[in-house]
Amino acid sequence: MLEFQPIKDLEYEYNADLGLSYASPVRGVWNIVHIGTLVPQAHEIYVCPTSCLRGVVLTTAEMGAMDRLSTITVGEDNILEGDMEEALQRGTERIIAELPVRPRAMLIFTSCVHHFLAVNYQRVYRVLREKYPDIDFIDCYMDPIMRRTKPAIPNLWQQIHRLLKPVQAFNKQQVNYVGNCFGYGEYCDLTQMLLSRGITVKQLQTCKDYDDFLGMANSAANITFHKTAVRAAKDMEIRLNQKWLPMRPGCSYEEFDEDLRTAAEFLGIAPPSAEEITEQRKQTEEAVRSTCELLAGTPVSVDYTAVDRPLETAQYLIDHGFNVESVFVDVFTESREVFERLQKTAPDLKIYQSLGWNIRRMDRTHGEGKLVAIGQKSAYFKNTNHFVNIIENEGMYGYRGIRRLMELLSDAYLNEKPMRELVQIKGWGCCGE
Amino acid sequence: MKKDYQTHVFTMTYTADVSGVCSAMYELGGMSVLHDPSGCNSTYSTHDEPRWFDTDSLMYVSGLDEITAVMGDDNVLIRDVVQAAHDLQPRFITLCGASIPHIIAFDFRGVAYLIEKECGIPVLPVPTDGLKSYVSGVGLALSAWLERFADPKEYREYRASGSENGALDDSSVSDLKEADPEKGRPRINIVGATPLDFSVNGNIQSLKKCFEEAGYVVNCCMAMGTYGSDSTGESTGACIAEAGSTTAQTAAAEKNTGMSARDRLFERMQHAYRADVNVVVSSAGRKPAGLMKKKSGMPFVEGLPIGAEQTKALLDAVSETIRDGIGRKAWSDSAAGAAGQASDAAGCPSTKDSILVIGEEIFAKSFSNAINMLPETVRKGRTASPMWPDVDEGIAETDLAEAVRNSAVVIADPLYRTILQSPRAAGRTIQFIDFPHEAYSGRIYREDIPVFCSAEFSIQQLLGKC
Repeated sequence: MLEFQPIKDLEYEYNADLGLSYASPVRGVWNIVHIGTLVPQAHEIYVCPTSCLRGVVLTTAEMGAMDRLSTITVGEDNILEGDMEEALQRGTERIIAELPVRPRAMLIFTSCVHHFLAVNYQRVYRVLREKYPDIDFIDCYMDPIMRRTKPAIPNLWQQIHRLLKPVQAFNKQQVNYVGNCFGYGEYCDLTQMLLSRGITVKQLQTCKDYDDFLGMANSAANITFHKTAVRAAKDMEIRLNQKWLPMRPGCSYEEFDEDLRTAAEFLGIAPPSAEEITEQRKQTEEAVRSTCELLAGTPVSVDYTAVDRPLETAQYLIDHGFNVESVFVDVFTESREVFERLQKTAPDLKIYQSLGWNIRRMDRTHGEGKLVAIGQKSAYFKNTNHFVNIIENEGMYGYRGIRRLMELLSDAYLNEKPMRELVQIKGWGCCGE
Repeated sequence: MKKDYQTHVFTMTYTADVSGVCSAMYELGGMSVLHDPSGCNSTYSTHDEPRWFDTDSLMYVSGLDEITAVMGDDNVLIRDVVQAAHDLQPRFITLCGASIPHIIAFDFRGVAYLIEKECGIPVLPVPTDGLKSYVSGVGLALSAWLERFADPKEYREYRASGSENGALDDSSVSDLKEADPEKGRPRINIVGATPLDFSVNGNIQSLKKCFEEAGYVVNCCMAMGTYGSDSTGESTGACIAEAGSTTAQTAAAEKNTGMSARDRLFERMQHAYRADVNVVVSSAGRKPAGLMKKKSGMPFVEGLPIGAEQTKALLDAVSETIRDGIGRKAWSDSAAGAAGQASDAAGCPSTKDSILVIGEEIFAKSFSNAINMLPETVRKGRTASPMWPDVDEGIAETDLAEAVRNSAVVIADPLYRTILQSPRAAGRTIQFIDFPHEAYSGRIYREDIPVFCSAEFSIQQLLGKC
């Protein structure tokens, strides 16, 4: 088995996230600990065996946020005696008693063993809610054994927003962005449209305290940019009756325009005018053209940690004259249409499985000359210091997003970064870098 | 009321048994498979494995999912491991697991047998459960390796052929053949060494040097030392990968012997029984040393050379043990502090105004002993006491807070400072001396870990900070 295959040889149903997996040293993608700390004035409790706790506590320690997390270790005696519920309740009570500052909310993460031993943790939460009415308790999960049906990150986004309580009337002048690790501002067409028309955008990243966060319940709509947020948005639509407006984070001009029109229509504001759109497209095409000229055929590699739609991004770049040589992706989550078009237009495009066992011993070189990577995984596996160091689109959406990507690509081409140091930082953007 | 070992309001957890297994096997040319859904592998490779970026040793997670666990379908794992082994041709395979295999009673031995039967590569079953500390994992892994690859009969042969007075004449280990100067010198093994306790900053090289300068031959170091530093302890960035950035030294060794560093360590460990004594340098080494004693009678000495006095104590203990064949510890329980409690896990000092040393057991006891052998004026009349995590339970935070409150000085990993926020530790000014430990704080303070395994290590200077 090679570490890569040409796209022409692959099936659309390809999924490398099955079975034996490798973990590269690339650690920029956020995990549930990073996301949990976005909730202001909340405290996380992880209830797991030692092997699972190790990762979460060190994630927290590396963030310098040990005051935001406590743990309850599951031991052999809990498994044998079946006292998981008591240990959870007793531990939580002790944590509340000893914390120097009383948290407003507690995110309690149970793990795979709780699921397999059918632990009745909801009963414990009920008791805790009665005993501590000033604290909101929410059940969260670190149970990767359930990742096929209930993946951890989408589930966490859902649970975090379950802290919000239903309201009688919505504020039509306010919307939420749901499920983003990074704030969406300057490089997001939607944010610019909303702000220019007097709409307030609430995002976890900018909530100043817990009450501010709870104010998200008043918003008229929840806007998502990532697939990982879909679960939360659907849940909020049912539970809080808030409208869900999904934005498509690819490179299609038509989709950008349509998504902005839909949002504007729902909020009763003016969508971007035809002139605005024309101007945006002109500026974008110009930015792409000049970047392509600068790179002058330099090979480019794209990975799924940097952009939500790596195949679509690769196709867009190829369509605009870039020399895209590879894509790192473990599961195809884009449409069959995108996949098949890329098979036709770039049949020899290399598709690497970043989780595959053979990639551990791949030749991490890229031949002579430069290679520019979009994303940390591409940078690591292709061993290049010329790379765009972003995670999860990093607040980029629409025409402005593409232009920003071109800026970053140009900068990556011209300037080297210390790849070895940067890609090993866990949770890019969380550790004060 | 039952002591609450489980709740950690402020403090961390030590690394788990699964990481210990992978760490112990890392430099031996095998492939470690961690039977677990996900996460343990990235935790290990991110926080517990300083060699991960620069080398290409093999460690994978099985990706166990709900349906496979519920159905007990071990064929998924067997098929994947056989296929990967076919592609990568490791010298052996280690199969360990975390909590879910434990609660579904996964048959480590049976599956190991089936994989081995199918791919013809030796498979070591190491039945970890993700519930214990790395000390358990390292010990289990090294023991399983020795059981499979080392021959206890060699100890008898070695003793018969001149034993403590010289190395074997008919050594089949190419390294040993070149080592004629070693002839006539007693041989020791270093047991229980992993980066989790010693990092990759030169501690192991310093440890070897300490014994070599005292006239011993280091027969093998279980199971690290091929990465990171040369014999002087200077960091070289040496890499055990066959391809890539090996140092001139490593490359030359490979050229001369036709073997990679991995192969050479493997072969040295295969002949672990060709030594006079095992020196157990961390509690993780107790189990393999105990196994070797049981299988062959080879005695072992526990201790670390930290500073001049403790180094002398260790070397004396080794020398005595070689002479009389009786295992011993390089400390006296009274001098190491925590008298009467030293055999209990997580020994807790009861005296006020003491110096509390928190860390892995043999480190903490050796360090405490080293401090207590200093003149009273240097330690300001204080006595050092060790505190160490229990393999199953860790350290109860209530005990930790009490011990800290009862101490004037605490020598511990910097992340233990978080206990000072506990109301249980309040009411006293504590002088805290940072002493990072990779098995606790992972990579965060790696750059600050000192080379402490040395007669030259100045405890006096360290205590001078308080």
